[in-house]
Amino acid sequence: MPLLICLTSLVYVQVAAAQADDVAVVVNDHNPVTKMSRAELRKIFAGEERTWPAGFPIRLFVRAPGTHERVALLKLLGMTEDEYRRYWTAQVLRGEAQTEPFTLPSNGMQKEALIAYPGAVALVNLQDVKAGMKVLRVEGRKPGEAGYSLN
Amino acid sequence: MRHIRWTATVLFLFATLCYAQDATPTDPETVAELVQQIKDLQTRVKLLESQRNHADATPPNASNPSAEPSDRTASVPAVEPELHDVHGIQWRGFGEVDYKVLNQRAAELGAYGFVPGSQGNFYTGDFGLFLTSKLTDKASILAEIIFEEGDAQTYQVDLRRLLLNYDYNDHLKMSFGRYQTDVGYYNWAFRSAAWLQTTADRPLVMEFATNGGLLPTQAIGVSVTGEIPSGRLGLNYVAEYGSSDTVRPDVNDDGHATDENNGNQVNVGLFLRPDAVRGLQIGTSYYHDKISNNVVTQPSGIAFPQPPGAPGPSARYGQTIVNGYVVYVAHGVEFLNEGFLIRDAALHFSDTVYNTPAFYSQISKQFGHIRPFFRYQYVNASSNNLIYDDVGLRFGPSFGARYDLNDYIAFKAQLDHTVRRDEPDLNGLQFQLAFTF
Repeated sequence: MPLLICLTSLVYVQVAAAQADDVAVVVNDHNPVTKMSRAELRKIFAGEERTWPAGFPIRLFVRAPGTHERVALLKLLGMTEDEYRRYWTAQVLRGEAQTEPFTLPSNGMQKEALIAYPGAVALVNLQDVKAGMKVLRVEGRKPGEAGYSLN
Repeated sequence: MRHIRWTATVLFLFATLCYAQDATPTDPETVAELVQQIKDLQTRVKLLESQRNHADATPPNASNPSAEPSDRTASVPAVEPELHDVHGIQWRGFGEVDYKVLNQRAAELGAYGFVPGSQGNFYTGDFGLFLTSKLTDKASILAEIIFEEGDAQTYQVDLRRLLLNYDYNDHLKMSFGRYQTDVGYYNWAFRSAAWLQTTADRPLVMEFATNGGLLPTQAIGVSVTGEIPSGRLGLNYVAEYGSSDTVRPDVNDDGHATDENNGNQVNVGLFLRPDAVRGLQIGTSYYHDKISNNVVTQPSGIAFPQPPGAPGPSARYGQTIVNGYVVYVAHGVEFLNEGFLIRDAALHFSDTVYNTPAFYSQISKQFGHIRPFFRYQYVNASSNNLIYDDVGLRFGPSFGARYDLNDYIAFKAQLDHTVRRDEPDLNGLQFQLAFTF
């Protein structure tokens, strides 16, 4: 019996830790989008999709290198930090993007940007999600749920 | 005893001092963290100040009745100037410094600063100023001004791209102005900047027409592109209609050029980026135009006597270019494969048809800062082809490496071996410093 309790606790701790690592995809409250696939998310953060279905332009906000959200972003795009920077310089020089995604130094600023821009989208640590941030489902799952793929 | 107590007190104070010094956060990580926090706070103060200034400047009853709650309306215009992505001109630039040596004393392709009689030369290639400006959420301006090195270190200005872009949505993105044609993948992916390219030069078939390349690389007109609803297939289209007036100098810089006096060109293409294989792009395009083969001397532009039996300068050819490509760019791998068939069919005066097949294949892999590459290219203009008589048959490998010194500067070294019909094989060595800013 004590062994069972120990194992259950261990599993619970591991699941809780994994859920704490989840990164939420957040958008402006007024954005009608509620869910997207991982492939769609990758296209959005690679600048391949530039408009929301509602018609307004997508504005990307990302966190600074070294943050957990940035690591999740690079994992999503399958790039290293160097590749990511060069990719966006290339996108701008091709004329495929007006500018690189804006890097914000804090979650507070991300929240302000999300409120300010109807087309804003950002990645935020699950525990840092605040009121005013609309969390999207990715592949049908919300962050914190088992099987959520963005972490 | 008193002496011992005094000594103990001193030792105790010294130990306390040492402890206090150890506890002071002087390790680099903590300092960096504190500096970052200060920067965050400074940014935040700046943002709040700009918000306050704007709130002071805004009349109290100027709010839009349909707008969001008051705390949101205040922050919308305040954050925008901070992000610098609406209005204003964004400047970028790129350039290159090259040294190229050949085992012959005649130039090949764009002559740049080539000194006749020499085998090796330094040159600066293209120096570009890249300007963009966002007019509205959907409209923007893009301009690419190139300072191109010519003979004897003279420079000419080329407005390589000038576009008014309007992105209605992801299914309809329109550009009006001078555009770079989307014939093939290379012209889209690498545009004009040497810094974007892995190799030191473009494949011959993709070289700019003004440097002796075979394809019409520029046109003025309208270009439309967008996604076609196709689920996980990721199908996209491109359609272009415009005028180009290509004057193509001979690749061996013999002082002759072909003024094509083009008509209006049509280019339509499809490409797919399937979700299942990230980095894979497969595409095809079809291009059509009517051209002439007016041989003129450079730089005067005076008509050059054509060989006996050749049709006059009024002779027109229907030019059709069919392209197909498969590229894979992901996980540090770049694998480009493109094929072309350029068909020039005489109109009215004879039933002459010139078919010019061409392809290139390029593979490279990033290892840290270094990216070794290998490219093989092939162009075959038949010996009776009057339009590409300077090109003939050329094929051969190129290999080398690109080393990224940082995010903005790359050094490239490249060796070329080209087999040519009726001419000796050509070997070349090229070094390039390519940069963007």
